[in-house]
This record gives sequence, C-alpha cells and structure tokens, in this order.
Amino acid sequence: MVKVKDAEVPEGLIYSKDFEWVKAEGAKVRIGITDYAQKQLREIVYVELPAEGDTITQNEPYGTVESVKAVSDLVAPLSGTIEQVNTEVQDKPELLNEDPYNKGWLLVIAPSNMEEQKNLMDHPQAVEWHKGLSED
Amino acid sequence: MGNHKNRTHLHAFHVKNGKMISFAGFEMPIWYKGIIPEHLAVRNSIGIFDVGHMGRAVITGPEAEEFLNFVTTNNVSTLEPFSAQYSTICNKRGGIKDDFVLSQQERGNFFMVYNAANRKKNYQWLTKNATRFKVEIEDLSDNISMFAVQGPRAQETLQKITTEDLGKIERFKCGWIKLAGLKTFISRTGYTGEDGYEIFIWDTPVSASEKAEKAWNAIIKAGKEFHIEPCGLGARDTLRLEAGMCLYGNDLDENTTPLEARIGFVVKFQKEEFIGKEALQKQKVEGIKKKRIGLKMLDTGIPRPKHEISKKGEKIGYVTSGTFSPLLRQGIAMAYIHPESAVTDNTLLVKIRDKHVRAEITRFPFYDPDRYGYKRK
Repeated sequence: MVKVKDAEVPEGLIYSKDFEWVKAEGAKVRIGITDYAQKQLREIVYVELPAEGDTITQNEPYGTVESVKAVSDLVAPLSGTIEQVNTEVQDKPELLNEDPYNKGWLLVIAPSNMEEQKNLMDHPQAVEWHKGLSED
Repeated sequence: MGNHKNRTHLHAFHVKNGKMISFAGFEMPIWYKGIIPEHLAVRNSIGIFDVGHMGRAVITGPEAEEFLNFVTTNNVSTLEPFSAQYSTICNKRGGIKDDFVLSQQERGNFFMVYNAANRKKNYQWLTKNATRFKVEIEDLSDNISMFAVQGPRAQETLQKITTEDLGKIERFKCGWIKLAGLKTFISRTGYTGEDGYEIFIWDTPVSASEKAEKAWNAIIKAGKEFHIEPCGLGARDTLRLEAGMCLYGNDLDENTTPLEARIGFVVKFQKEEFIGKEALQKQKVEGIKKKRIGLKMLDTGIPRPKHEISKKGEKIGYVTSGTFSPLLRQGIAMAYIHPESAVTDNTLLVKIRDKHVRAEITRFPFYDPDRYGYKRK
C-alpha cells in the first residue's frame, strides 16, 4: 500500500484530479472517491447518485456527497453509461470514510470513450500529485 | 483587527490537535476528532470550546443601566447583580444588529458577550449612542479569555477544581469563582441547549495566555473520567441548531426583527424608550410578514442555507441554517416562511438542488427535551 502523507493511494488504479479513482474491470470500470477526498470531507452523512442506465460525462458533476458541514460535487472521471450503483453507500454513507477503495465504491460504468483515460493520472503520476496536496 | 488573522488564547492547542478554518477574521478550529463525536460528547457528557473569538465589552458608569435600557431591547432594570439575560440590539427599523448575553456583575458593572463578526460594528454603535449618557464602554475582547464547558457532566467536572459550591450558580446566574487556583468569572449559560458554563479570565491577553492554558488543561484533566472532548466550531453550530438557537448572519440580521425571529421575549415594550421600539410596536400591531420555523426532513436530504421552501407550487420561504443532526441522524433546518402559509398542515417542500423533498414544521428544540438539554429529566 502506497501512502502519501496520510492518504492511501493504492496501485492498480488510475486517478482524476477531482479526487476520484477508476478501476478497470474488463470492459467496464468501477469508480469511487479517494482516501484523500474522504479524509478532507470527514464524516460523510449523505450520498446522492444517479440511477442505472443514466449516462455521466467526464469532468461533469454526476452526484453529491455531503459531510455534516459541506456539500461537494462528485465529478465524473470518465464518460459512460451506468451499469451498477452502490445502493449500500446510500444507506451507509460512512462506508466512504471507512473503505473508500472497496466497500465505498460508487458506480460501475461502461465507458463510452476509452481515449478519455489519457486525461487521467496513472499510479506514479497520482503519487506525485498527492505530494503536492495540502494536508489541511 | 488588522488584515492578519486573529488568534485566540488556545491557538497552539488548536493547531496541534484540530483542523483550522478562518471564521469572522479568526483562525479557529472547526473540529478535532470530527463534528459528530464532539457533538455527541456534549449531548451525552461534556465538551469544552475555546470561544475567544467572541466580542466582550464592559459597560460601567452611573448611567450604565439607563444607557443599556435605551440601546438594547430587553429590560436591564430587572437584571439582578450576578445574573445574565439574552437580548438584542436593534436598529431604528427594529432589525437586529446583534444578539448577545448581557450580565451584571457587581451592581452597575455590565458585561456584554456578542458575536465575533459584530465586534467592531457593536462597539461603534454602542459608543455612538452613548454620548448623552454618563457611561464608559471598554472593549476587552482581547484581554479576557473565554471558554464554554457544556454538557450534563459540566457541573460535576468543574466542581472537582473548585472549593466553592457551583450548585449555588443557577441557570442564567453568574459569579466570581476560583477555578484551578485562578480567579474566573463564570456564567451558567451557553450555546448548545445543554447545562454548562461560560468561563472568563480577566487580564489575560492573547499574547500572554498562560492563565487560559492552565484553566483549559485543568478542565480537560478533570473531565477525563467523563471522556471530555475539545470541540470546534462545527459541533458548536450543530449543537446550537439542534437546540433551536439562532446564529447571527444566518438566522438573524438587520432586516429581521426579534418578533419575526420568534425571540419576542427579548423585547420589553413596557420600557419607556429604546432604539427600534416604534417600529417593533407597529409590527406587533400590524403583524409579521415572515416567521422563523424549525424543519425536520421527512425524506432524505440535508437542507442548507438559501434552499427554497414551497407549498402547493408556491414559494413561501427559504432556509437560513441547515445541517445533518448528529443526534437525530437526519436533516434539520431553520427557515423563514410567510406566517399564513403553515396554518392548516405542517408539511412543506424544500428544494435541494433539483429535487423537492418533504419536510415538516417542528418545534424547538429539535431533540426530546425530556431526554436531552438542560431541562432533561
């Protein structure tokens, strides 16, 4: 497990600068928010996600996470059609804090444009990028 | 206040243990462990807050009482020595310039604790309106430390570090008490809905904060057996909101009167003269155009300030404070609506982003007062 300061940045994932991770699963991808993001938000108490069959667009908001204090947009790392929604995190938003890379996943999508992955960071790039983030 | 960020007495502690934010010109902790555990520590046991950002002024002189009766809305003549009252300062239109707690120490020595964001505005307003009175107003904000110790275990905790009987100081009473060997002024007041105290140490500038640190550490040590938590501004906000208490700038402002805010008990019309009296009297006769209400969400979603409130497709108001309630584990809010729009049934819609979600009008406090808060059984 690679840790930058206090935040875990697991290998085998690619990352967006909007604090999301992307995991390739065959022709589909699973997405979620990073450990750094959940630590910044602290106690996540509400998650709003789109429905199966909806489409999302790279760099555009597709949902919302709320902590006690703040509302943050979820910004799509890739474009595609939603195949699965993690309904468990809607009932238990704390899963995003407890396990952001596994149980706290958000969506599985069928990407519509593989070229878009060029806009994301691979693991070494993500590690470097995390080094520049403030801990506050 | 200069351009630099002001600091409070416990700045070093906050930086070491908490997450800092900027608030009303101050560097303040928003949380240490997190809003939810800090909030629950206060509801269930005890928490301590550094609230040194608040404004603190001493008002003395032979006409201090007359002056305060003129400039504030509550009746200062009924305020006994070593007692405190909640009150407001209004403008000529009856709009609230600030809300605060005024206490009287020895007869004729008044002590006002007001909002950090209004420090400058209040001092200027007080000074400007004091010209025809024999009165002295001294802003001691930076020379008196201020903590709040709140929760059902507050009395038990502080009793461990004083030889005086704290039971003698009832709610909204105050007094000089030697605490941890230090001369302190304590007031049984707070901003959480719980029993508790606000503790002041005179002659303690931020630049020489040893006395404040000593008291803070002694309280944390004494509260250890009750799992005391240092609490940040985040929990302070959720606690006051659950208790139904207003936050200036959100729920109160210069275009809102105490009658609209439903804190009319701070306006004493029997007084001969006070700033805003005419406008407020007129409003009392003619009726209010908006009123403050509490909202509890019936559907999922967290209401936030500025969210629109509607009923039968018609916009009837807006949210002024909203959060996730750590105790009730649901969205709660304060809002202003047209007074006529909630006569028959209590269900409304709150527009959260693109969705209209159901909420019901609820009385304050949001929690069950038999189980939580200073009136708990």
